[in-house]
Amino acid sequence: MRLTLAPVCRPQQWKPLLTGGTARRSYAFQSGSLNFEVFNRRAKWLQKERAAANVEGGRQADYLKDEVAMRVCERLLDVKRQFPRVLDLGANSCNIARALLRPDPDPESEPPVTDPLATKITELVAAESSHSLLHRDHDHPSLSTTHVPDFKLTRHVLEHDELLPFEPDSFDMVLSSMSMHWINDLPGVLSQINSVLKPDCPFIGAMLGGDTLYELRTSLQLAEQERKGGISPHVSPLADVRDVGGLLQRTGFKMLTVDVEDIVVDYPDMFALMQDLQAMGEGNAVLGREMGPIGRDVLLAGDAIYRALHGNQDGSIPATFRIIHMIGWKESPHQAQPLRRGSGQASLKDLLEGQ
Amino acid sequence: MQPPKTTVRPIQRFASAVSKCSVESAAYGKCILADYNSVHKDMCVKEFMRLKDCYLLAAKKA
Repeated sequence: MRLTLAPVCRPQQWKPLLTGGTARRSYAFQSGSLNFEVFNRRAKWLQKERAAANVEGGRQADYLKDEVAMRVCERLLDVKRQFPRVLDLGANSCNIARALLRPDPDPESEPPVTDPLATKITELVAAESSHSLLHRDHDHPSLSTTHVPDFKLTRHVLEHDELLPFEPDSFDMVLSSMSMHWINDLPGVLSQINSVLKPDCPFIGAMLGGDTLYELRTSLQLAEQERKGGISPHVSPLADVRDVGGLLQRTGFKMLTVDVEDIVVDYPDMFALMQDLQAMGEGNAVLGREMGPIGRDVLLAGDAIYRALHGNQDGSIPATFRIIHMIGWKESPHQAQPLRRGSGQASLKDLLEGQ
Repeated sequence: MQPPKTTVRPIQRFASAVSKCSVESAAYGKCILADYNSVHKDMCVKEFMRLKDCYLLAAKKA
């Protein structure tokens, strides 16, 4: 990791930086290839393999990933284009393929869209590092492609989930749902995505971020603090919305759209939430975490604090999943450009209030 | 690797025992909530021991 901290460390260089002809940013930023490890990749891989071994439990716990994959794929309704070759990066159990194959993707629009979204795609390459998870639903009816004969699903097991072994300019779209929050080197992976895309092709992704699982994080922190007198990380550090916009911009994407939505799921108790996270393969894989299971005392205290601090009236507990959606287009000289700032003629406020 | 349907995972047994101690659990939670900005070790040890005793009893019965 190279950090440019020159202005702070070497005060005599302040002046040339400030008075130089070109405006230069003097805050710390990372450049070149960075070696920044937050997550234990092997632990994550093992968790996914184990989660895939529990087929029924895994399918039951797929509600969140299927929902997010559906919301990602809904965004394709707005792109009037055919995509011959599409990459699904971090495919989990092919949740994106499942969402694409769903009939009646948009029954409420005028006219209703009844063809599955998969009709827009010829080949979907589902890339995932866990072989068992990727092939878990190989013969499941939800992944049957008989009703979309022109659609082909190719599974690709990644040797290293942060290195894309694909040719540059070889995909017409890259999708990613619920997996990029485990990537150590997010800028590196985003620029690889940019590189494998053909010019003027979109990247549409969603990942967990920001305040995801803040209830669980705070409850376990308080429980450990009171029981043991110290804390260790149980919930990953996650990217914030602001970071994601900056990252996309820095890795060369154009016409960015970044938005967030919260999905709140109610659970009977903290243990049910933790069991489901485990069945999703979304267990804790932070480097430097305390190894082994959480002690019984901390679990007991954590559940009580969760209820007291965040619990619902009916005795259930809420868990917030904050999904960061991002869309970025690879640069091309012929693509539509955003209009100049301040050039708008109609006020959005009038439009929205007029209705 | 998949456990047979009849086995109850330890965490499920744990959860059902804990669910029988809602009064003690609420008392402990209330104690933490009263001063959650400056939690220190054994701040609510009295309430916690009551919760744990209740849990141990419930776990034994099950």
